[in-house]
Amino acid sequence: MKNSRPKPETLEALYRQRYEAVLKPLALALADHIADRFKGQPRIDRISTRAKDVSSFLNKAKKIDGRRQKYSEPLHQIQDQVGARIITFFRSDVDELDKIVGKYFRAIESKDHVPDSEWEFGYFGRHYILVIPSDVIDDDWDMATVPKFFELQIKTLFQHAWSEAEHDVGYKEGKNPLNLDQKRRLAFTSAQAWGADRVFEELFQELITPVSTSS
Amino acid sequence: MPVQRIHAYLVHPKKGDEDSSQPHGTDVPLSGQMFDLMYAIYSKSENDCDIDITFRSTPDGKQQNDCRDLLLAYLAAPSLTAGQTIAERLGQTTDLRSALGLLFLIVGKEGRDHKIVISRFPTDSAIYVEEKPRALTVQFLERVFMKNKHSYKAVLYRDASLRADFWNGRAIDKQINTPTSPTSDYWISDFLLSEFTVTSAQGTSRFAKALRAAVHSDIPVEVKEEITAAAKLSSGLAGQRMSINQIAARFNLSQPAQAAVIKGLKKPALANETFSFDADEFKSIVAFKSVELDNGATLTAESDRFDEVFHKEQIKDQTEYVTRGRVVNEKLKTKA
Repeated sequence: MKNSRPKPETLEALYRQRYEAVLKPLALALADHIADRFKGQPRIDRISTRAKDVSSFLNKAKKIDGRRQKYSEPLHQIQDQVGARIITFFRSDVDELDKIVGKYFRAIESKDHVPDSEWEFGYFGRHYILVIPSDVIDDDWDMATVPKFFELQIKTLFQHAWSEAEHDVGYKEGKNPLNLDQKRRLAFTSAQAWGADRVFEELFQELITPVSTSS
Repeated sequence: MPVQRIHAYLVHPKKGDEDSSQPHGTDVPLSGQMFDLMYAIYSKSENDCDIDITFRSTPDGKQQNDCRDLLLAYLAAPSLTAGQTIAERLGQTTDLRSALGLLFLIVGKEGRDHKIVISRFPTDSAIYVEEKPRALTVQFLERVFMKNKHSYKAVLYRDASLRADFWNGRAIDKQINTPTSPTSDYWISDFLLSEFTVTSAQGTSRFAKALRAAVHSDIPVEVKEEITAAAKLSSGLAGQRMSINQIAARFNLSQPAQAAVIKGLKKPALANETFSFDADEFKSIVAFKSVELDNGATLTAESDRFDEVFHKEQIKDQTEYVTRGRVVNEKLKTKA
């Protein structure tokens, strides 16, 4: 299979054009669409969408997997050019929202991100790769620049808080790797977030009785 | 010329059968009458294939699909042997109640895009008549393959990247609304391991909201009544797989009524997308929600706007509802 990866400067120009003309308005339209789909669901803290900015895209496109470049066709292979996130209160809320995702969106991937071993703590969250609904695609856009999928993440407040903080202090390519103590402290904060989620879920189940309304 | 390779295979239905023989195939030359027919199918596929479908992920949610893998392997190096794996898959997913099929794989390149049309002709019998100046000869023919039979099926995939794309395609399946037929699901669901790109709830909710918007729009009363009647009849569509345009045609909606419904969609093209009608989803949007309190009050609003219209607060074991608006109508209704 021929490698059709564009040169770096061409890739940047191509992505920048797509980012301005399509991805930014697409992210806005998707935010409204998702908000409409999840309207009325309790305990949603926020729904947000974003178009992946040019530097993040280029950094991801440069990623190495073993000895080879991970993405030979980054414009096609990177599936989170548009991303959406729903933050909710409790872990059982994630399962409820999952049902709505399955009902209204077509997924080609759905995955619970958890650390590899039960002895580890790190990133937790539910991720999906979903077909971009045609409702949010402007017919005037050049279809060759419209991504086919977007990434949706559903997380609890504690999962979200941990991943945001970790994103800033955790390992960054080109910088010194974290030492063992730093890694352990990060894992400790993840364990605390996991514990807080668990206790809140237990309290929610014990204390909050849904009020039934007859319709 | 965009068409680069054509392979044909005779596919025997084998689902549940232990027969392990492989389907026979042949290269189709890129000229002549046979090619002209294939080229017409290839060229018209962009219009003819009108059901948007998406490959399914694995049951545990991974981004992988066995049928897509076969398709990509074939597209990367189209050969009689690579195509045979697709033909075998079709045989294994077609049960013995279906007739013999003739499968064509038509591969082409359109600019940067790779394109493939997979087309299955069902078999039939026919009578061949030859008219000579003083005589007429008739001959019974078996194994005649016909495109215009109701069980003709095809699918089109067109994308730029063989590594990341080819998740979405467009199909023709004239049997999708014959649920009693044993063959009704084998093409999209079993052979292609795919689903409609538009989910049942997504398509139905679009339709219901478009009907509601049409009824609330500034259109003549008789058109509103027509749309209201269509909404009542729609609950009978449960499980039917069709587009909004097809539903409008089924109910013989007038041109103004169709236009009002399409205006209620985010864009007119959505009216062409096929989905399976979800009666519960439809009712949840078109229906009214009513709450009765023990003080004699009854609150009513469109079900999906109820929580928006009435602000609810729980005060011990009682519920307080608050709403505000301009009075536009007032009715007295007798008790049933």
